[in-house]
Amino acid sequence: MKPLTPPSIRTRLTRALLVSSVLWIVAVAAAVWLTVHDEVDELLDDTLQAAAEGLRGPLSQPLAVEPAAAAVTPAASGSGRFAWQVVDHLAAGEARTVAASALAPAAPLRRVPSGGFSDSDEWRVFGIPLADGRRWLYVAQTHAERQEALAETALSAALATLAIALLAQVWLQAQIRHELLPLQRLAQHLGGRDPEDIGAALGAAERSELQPVHAAIDELTRRLALRLARERAFTGHAAHSLRTPLAGIDAQLAVALRESPADLQPRLQRVRTAARRLHRVVSALLTLFRSSAAVHPQELDVAEMIPRLAVEGLAFEFPDRLRLTADADLLAAALLNLFDNSLRHGASRVRLSLLDRNVLRVHDDGTGVRPEQRESLQTALGGRVDASVGGLGLLLVDLVARAHGGSLQLPAVEHGFAADLHLSPLQPAA
Amino acid sequence: MRLLLIEDDDILGEGLRDFLTADGHRVDWCRTLQQVAAHEGEPYDALLVDWQLPDGSGLDWLRGRRRRGDTAPALMLTARDLLGDRIRGLDSGADDYLVKPFAPEELAARLRAVSRRIAGSADARRLIGDVEVDLAARTVWLTGQRVELTSREWAILEALLLRPGRIVTKADLERLVLGFAAEWASNAVEVHVAALRRKLGRAVVETVRGIGYRLGGGQ
Repeated sequence: MKPLTPPSIRTRLTRALLVSSVLWIVAVAAAVWLTVHDEVDELLDDTLQAAAEGLRGPLSQPLAVEPAAAAVTPAASGSGRFAWQVVDHLAAGEARTVAASALAPAAPLRRVPSGGFSDSDEWRVFGIPLADGRRWLYVAQTHAERQEALAETALSAALATLAIALLAQVWLQAQIRHELLPLQRLAQHLGGRDPEDIGAALGAAERSELQPVHAAIDELTRRLALRLARERAFTGHAAHSLRTPLAGIDAQLAVALRESPADLQPRLQRVRTAARRLHRVVSALLTLFRSSAAVHPQELDVAEMIPRLAVEGLAFEFPDRLRLTADADLLAAALLNLFDNSLRHGASRVRLSLLDRNVLRVHDDGTGVRPEQRESLQTALGGRVDASVGGLGLLLVDLVARAHGGSLQLPAVEHGFAADLHLSPLQPAA
Repeated sequence: MRLLLIEDDDILGEGLRDFLTADGHRVDWCRTLQQVAAHEGEPYDALLVDWQLPDGSGLDWLRGRRRRGDTAPALMLTARDLLGDRIRGLDSGADDYLVKPFAPEELAARLRAVSRRIAGSADARRLIGDVEVDLAARTVWLTGQRVELTSREWAILEALLLRPGRIVTKADLERLVLGFAAEWASNAVEVHVAALRRKLGRAVVETVRGIGYRLGGGQ
């Protein structure tokens, strides 16, 4: 099953920023609309009133023209946005427009005298009386004009807010990237760190939030390095304590074989063979244990390794060149176990070949295993490390393959027993 | 060959001593560096040195010996099998490096190989005039006829073969042939050299008057 990709801090922060920006824009737009609506309304009313006050003086003079011809051009009125009327209010609710601007309607804006602000369907009107109290000046503006002014102001404010928000978004994105860089640098630093180096510390963090992470990693690395150092020291002692007696047993048996009567020699030879098997298993275990901290892959020619690993009683067939990338000690341990396995199963010949890049097949002519047993072994190898696989040898070989990122496969073969050592291609150690 | 074996493990030390003795070598076995001190100045054809000893490092001991000009072939016998250890061992003066556990047969073969290299030939067979010697098979022929030698005669011939062109003093030859703390008659070397000359011809061993002996045949 494909492992789940964990969420990205950058993506999550970007998403959060985007959502907050949208909400912020909406909120600001609403606030701007409410504010602008009131303020623009008030401003336009002030303008109406100021215009009325301004016109009141000139229009208080007796008009020299007939009312019908008293229209004044917009230019003369000083504004294309306002209309004004001078209305005479007669008795019984009658009113007559005495003078008006070009934008003003023909009919009086107010039928009855109306001071201050008032609204009609189409107009917002401000009225003030002129000299004799019968004549009134009305300065007006259409609601449509006022709405247009309001919309223009709101749009300008919204666009400005949006522009600021977008610029802020770009800047914040850059900031997020910049603030996440210390994490990337930390990852790179950790990637190149030697877990066995007790003295290596990350040092001061670039951000205070990373300081506890640095401290935790440093502590973990220190403990890991100490443990590895202890294990290495233990392996050294274990190697000495195990290898020396084994060498002693072999030397004593070699002498005994020379000095013993002929009828005792086969028995002694069998003891020596068993002791040598023990050598191989111990060597493989020590190698595997010591190498558990780190795999050091390098370009190897297995053909050159075989003479050094050759096991008494087995003949080897292999091409002139068997190049692959692997940890030399671990591969040697794996091969020793496979050869030992072959010997125990009655093999006399072992053929080695490269199936693919970094896939080594070891095929012997021994008794092999039954198909169901082979499948059971393969299943056990694919499971837990402590699963029973019928012997230590194959488990060790599988562990070596896994240490390289690969696996041990047991293919079906017509004769004997075959093991495919998949060693994932790793980068050679610098 | 006269060998100095430094190994603290009783079972291994005893096994190697007996195996190599049965192979015709004279083995002085020391369990500690303190015991080795008693053998200072003794001539050896090869040194077999364990790295980790109860009272010090065999590697440091070998390094000191090399600094003092000792050129005897040395084999490190150790449980340390890391590449770095092997490099350190060889760089410190060891001519070969054998990781425990090893078969004594391999040790014996490596001893022969190291000795051949030191003696300046990759071949185990040597010619001294009409005499042909196979160091590996411990066999001697004179004009094609096999000649039987006693162990002492063989030891003298081997000691001279491993030091071609060099003069070996009578005292060194005595110790190389018989080993540490052995008592010989004062003319024992002359007796065995004379026997060798009788069997292989006078030219096989030259006497350097007042000093010792040298391999003959222009070697």
